[in-house]
Amino acid sequence: MWDLSKRSLVRRLVLLAGIWNLVVLLVAGVFLTAQFRDAAIRRFDQSLAVLTDDLYAGSTVEDGVLKAPVLTDIRATRAYSGRYWTIFDQPAGGGGLNVIERSRSLFDSDLMIPMEQSERLMSESGKTLYFDLKGPQNRPLRAAALLARLPGYPRPVVFIAAEDRSPIDADADRFGRITTVALVILGAGLIAAVVVQVRVGLLPLFRLRREVASVRRGKAEKLEGAYPEELEPLAVELNALLSHNQEVVERQRTHVGNLAHALKTPLSVMLTEASQQPGGLADVVERQAQTMREQVDHHLRRARAAARSQTSGERTPVEPILDELAVTLERIFQDKSEGRGIEIDWRCPEDLCFQGERQDFMELAGNVMENAGKWCKGKVRAEAVASSPEQMTLTVDDDGPGLPPDRWSDALKRGQRMDEHTPGSGLGLSIVDELARAYGGSVTLGASPLGGLRVTLVLPRSEG
Amino acid sequence: MRILLVEDDPDLSRQLKLALGDAGYAVDHAADGEEAQFLGETEPYDAVVLDLGLPKVDGVSVLERWRRGNVATPVLILTARGSWNEKVAGFDAGADDYLTKPFHTEELLARLRALLRRSSGHASPTLSCGGLRLDPRAARASVNGEPLRLTSLEYRLLHYMMMHQGRVIGRTELVEHLYDQDFDRDSNTIEVFIGRLRKKLGSDRIETVRGLGYRLTPLEGETTE
Repeated sequence: MWDLSKRSLVRRLVLLAGIWNLVVLLVAGVFLTAQFRDAAIRRFDQSLAVLTDDLYAGSTVEDGVLKAPVLTDIRATRAYSGRYWTIFDQPAGGGGLNVIERSRSLFDSDLMIPMEQSERLMSESGKTLYFDLKGPQNRPLRAAALLARLPGYPRPVVFIAAEDRSPIDADADRFGRITTVALVILGAGLIAAVVVQVRVGLLPLFRLRREVASVRRGKAEKLEGAYPEELEPLAVELNALLSHNQEVVERQRTHVGNLAHALKTPLSVMLTEASQQPGGLADVVERQAQTMREQVDHHLRRARAAARSQTSGERTPVEPILDELAVTLERIFQDKSEGRGIEIDWRCPEDLCFQGERQDFMELAGNVMENAGKWCKGKVRAEAVASSPEQMTLTVDDDGPGLPPDRWSDALKRGQRMDEHTPGSGLGLSIVDELARAYGGSVTLGASPLGGLRVTLVLPRSEG
Repeated sequence: MRILLVEDDPDLSRQLKLALGDAGYAVDHAADGEEAQFLGETEPYDAVVLDLGLPKVDGVSVLERWRRGNVATPVLILTARGSWNEKVAGFDAGADDYLTKPFHTEELLARLRALLRRSSGHASPTLSCGGLRLDPRAARASVNGEPLRLTSLEYRLLHYMMMHQGRVIGRTELVEHLYDQDFDRDSNTIEVFIGRLRKKLGSDRIETVRGLGYRLTPLEGETTE
């Protein structure tokens, strides 16, 4: 059994049309050729019938002797010309037929009536019969024969006229060949028409496929094109599915965000309350609250990362986000370096786009740049470039103390804090690492030409 | 010093009121967005501690309404989510600093002190060029009253151009004033920053004088006060 459901639609449609065409054309060809041959033979038979009638009508009986008419057809007189006639009679005792007269064209041979035809003649006297027989030199002949009685002649007489039938066979064969060629050409034309028709007819389907692909690659947010009425519902459903997906992700995110919010305010209360109690309780509560906070952050990120794998790609222009982050971070760190604040020098091509959600990119770049801001002496440099058609690289440098190379990999681990006295959690870079991985990207640490740490983020890029 | 505390959690409110009171501030408390907005608009506070997750009207909207209504009181926002999206939205709305929950009370008090110290410098001479205004003390700039969000490099460039407005300034001169050390001194840098400034100020304010440099001028019809 063919598994039709897996075959190409184009091939399936063309194949079906092809099989149907083949059957129809074959039947038509056979039918036409047969019709042509029949008509030719009928015409041939008629001319033979005329000859037998002439023989019958022209024959006379004189003194019990049968005389054949004088026929002027030249072909009946030239030897082996292809046209022959014979008059037989049937002896009284039955048995074979006696030749009474025959055309001169027969020369030295006789027309031999096959057995079953002569029996048919006996039983259907007065009726002209047509049949094939072998003539002189083994030529195929067509014959018309009539058994009749002549007044004054005692025995039944058989009049038979025959003619070489190879011209009709040749004609019929030629017609067959021409018909075959014509039908083959017609068939090829029909198949070509079907191929074109199917290709053109299925164009919207191919367009739909391209659009879906571009949604997946994050070049479009939904299907925009207009589709024929058979495909329109599919496009509408796809769009509904996309926006449903988006909604689910958004809901999950809000949900997790709300949970985090709901937990963190009580944590603040506990921290404050504990700090006012004397003794070891404050330390324990603080440590535990810190752990809880890290747990909440961790699961918040996991939820985001999980949500991300379900979303369709979105494209986020990088430049405005770096601008916003730079302005915000300079404000946040405005009291740093004895009140001189920090200076964030950032560069980014205007058309560079991150393939993914805005919020996620903000989280990635925000945490890396905040980390740089936290450790720098006053200068942070951020540069985003398109490193390949599929990837972008964000490099963030600071002029702070940096990290020794043996601690680079530790810094990305969860809960690792480089300095217990720096305000804020040390989680910034592990968040980035986790999120970047969820996007199939990476984070690497290194030494910066400014003297501090260099963080290099490789992320998916959306082109065009 | 009078502080407005906007926080809906009763326990946290009580603790913060106590801590702020102990630190010597007079504290008013609002438990929802509407009340906060009303108090902030009617009372002369020295600073506001604003939680973003509030009933009725959320914190960011309250802040936006204050800033639109020309309430310039410094605002410290408290956020539980701590996502950059929320932080940026808070600063966009006009916040001066933020603190992520859970936090230590000492941290809050330290931030508040810094905030008050920063805002204490008043009535500094401003530079102006048409609708463009720049306050060197607060390091803020605005166009037609709308505050501009500039990075420090952009601010520095604009400051220099405003001090020399009307004059054509060469690229090398601008680079020298943009960077105090000598890295990145290609003239391409200046084009990048001029481009960004034009985006934020409106493209007509900075004129390119071919082969010479750039010139900052008031728009036609504007007068320099």
